[in-house]
Amino acid sequence: MKLRPGAFIPELLKHLFKKPATVMYPFEKLNIPKDFRGTPVLKPELCIVCRACVRDCPAFAIEIETLSEEEKKYKMTIHNDRCIHCAQCVESCPTKALFMDDGYELSTDSRRKLKIAYVYSRPKKTAQQSSEK
Amino acid sequence: MKKIKIPIGPQHPALKEPISLRITVEGEVIKDADVRLGYNHRGIEKLAESRTYVQNIYLMERICGICSHSHTTCFVQGVESLCGLEVPKRGLFIRMLVCELERIHSHYLWLGVAAHEAGFDSLFMYTWRDREVVMDLLEIISGNRVHYAINTIGGVRRDLSEVQKEKILEGIQFLKKRMEYYTNLGTTEPSFVARVSGVGILPKEKAMSLCAVGPTLRASGIASDIRKDDPYAAYDEIPFSVCTATSCDVLGRVVVRIKETMESIKIVEYLVKNLPSGEIKVRAPRKVKEGEAVSRYEAPRGENIHYIKSNGTDKPERVKVRAPTLANYPATIEMLKSGFIADIPLIFAAIDPCICCAERFVEVIDTKNENTQVLTMAEIKKRYSKSQGLKKGSSVWPL
Repeated sequence: MKLRPGAFIPELLKHLFKKPATVMYPFEKLNIPKDFRGTPVLKPELCIVCRACVRDCPAFAIEIETLSEEEKKYKMTIHNDRCIHCAQCVESCPTKALFMDDGYELSTDSRRKLKIAYVYSRPKKTAQQSSEK
Repeated sequence: MKKIKIPIGPQHPALKEPISLRITVEGEVIKDADVRLGYNHRGIEKLAESRTYVQNIYLMERICGICSHSHTTCFVQGVESLCGLEVPKRGLFIRMLVCELERIHSHYLWLGVAAHEAGFDSLFMYTWRDREVVMDLLEIISGNRVHYAINTIGGVRRDLSEVQKEKILEGIQFLKKRMEYYTNLGTTEPSFVARVSGVGILPKEKAMSLCAVGPTLRASGIASDIRKDDPYAAYDEIPFSVCTATSCDVLGRVVVRIKETMESIKIVEYLVKNLPSGEIKVRAPRKVKEGEAVSRYEAPRGENIHYIKSNGTDKPERVKVRAPTLANYPATIEMLKSGFIADIPLIFAAIDPCICCAERFVEVIDTKNENTQVLTMAEIKKRYSKSQGLKKGSSVWPL
């Protein structure tokens, strides 16, 4: 190990002529990779209300309420203020009704605005689908 | 000369997280040190008992922000051994790949912190800039920078594509080049070497008897690494060497971590080039058979141990976590002794402390009849006052 005084100086001088390593965030944004885990979004037409997502969510961020038993009307609330963006709900969903979008700019001035509710009816089995089975 | 006690922490600019160090000094020289924990307790072990195994993976991930993959892998390995699951080769390789990338990012981060504590802030800025490359690689693989959430019981959640493989190899080349430069710099820059050499001496025998772990132990010349000693995943098939240093000081810890990063880069290259084909996971049952398991894992900071006891339901009965920082505290006290006050931040940073990792619940075991007891804080104070002969109402911890 031989000591060299000023070993860092050439590197420092080189960086005087380089662009900054950071980007000017609100005006300039970095690319989001494919399969980035952003916020969970529901496709209501695919949901079969099996409640697998409710059972597996580690943050208890998904809630499903039954609005009307006869009409098979349900309300799913995704609490994005509690969500930890692990995408376990996406993996648990048997019909792929949930997916993660690439939204990461979630900040608002109120927690309530982060709550997203979906009101939907469970798709009735059509004659064609029943015969397929 | 009169001995004086000075408190460092729980809130102190030299500390990144709350911990209390009571230092006894004689002039500038540290004569004794005392570590007090418990300012950052989050009750994770208790919380784990009320959650299912799947939910617990994400809870375990949040024990630590730097070695998040270590804790999930350790937990998941334990649960897999309880269920008797055999993880497919490809799954294990991806798991190890993330593990080694995490080690690279943790050591890059630590090198920056050490440089900052030594007063070399340009090196701190440069290492952290380069660390972004490995963070981006982890984001490409798993979808997030910090909490990768790639583990699941029975394998991993995401597969690796050819495009991702190419990107990893490209990024790794850059990191290799940079780390070679830092190796050169860290060992030849006279002001940096003068600041870190001979500081925080931990002799080989002391390191052994105080049960130090990880780079702290290896810097004292003991080649102990769980990846070699008790191979988990598929580490027995991978060629790599355990890095050690013999100087027993902070410089030794810098050298060990730099060498380890170079070793990890080699492992990543090997893993990507020899990735087997096949499945990435097997289906895991929701309920885990009754039993108990201990899982060991070499985290970037040292040996991580998880103990899991299951009772046949979908929730564990007990999860116990022994994070590497906790094992390094006795050695830290030894290192602080006969050092100077100005060395405290450097010595303390050299073990790469993660204080909230080490905040665990305490069970009191009676050595005579092996009865176990959980005590309240009031009860501990009462017993302490009694043993010290303190009067009622007097301060338990006089300062």
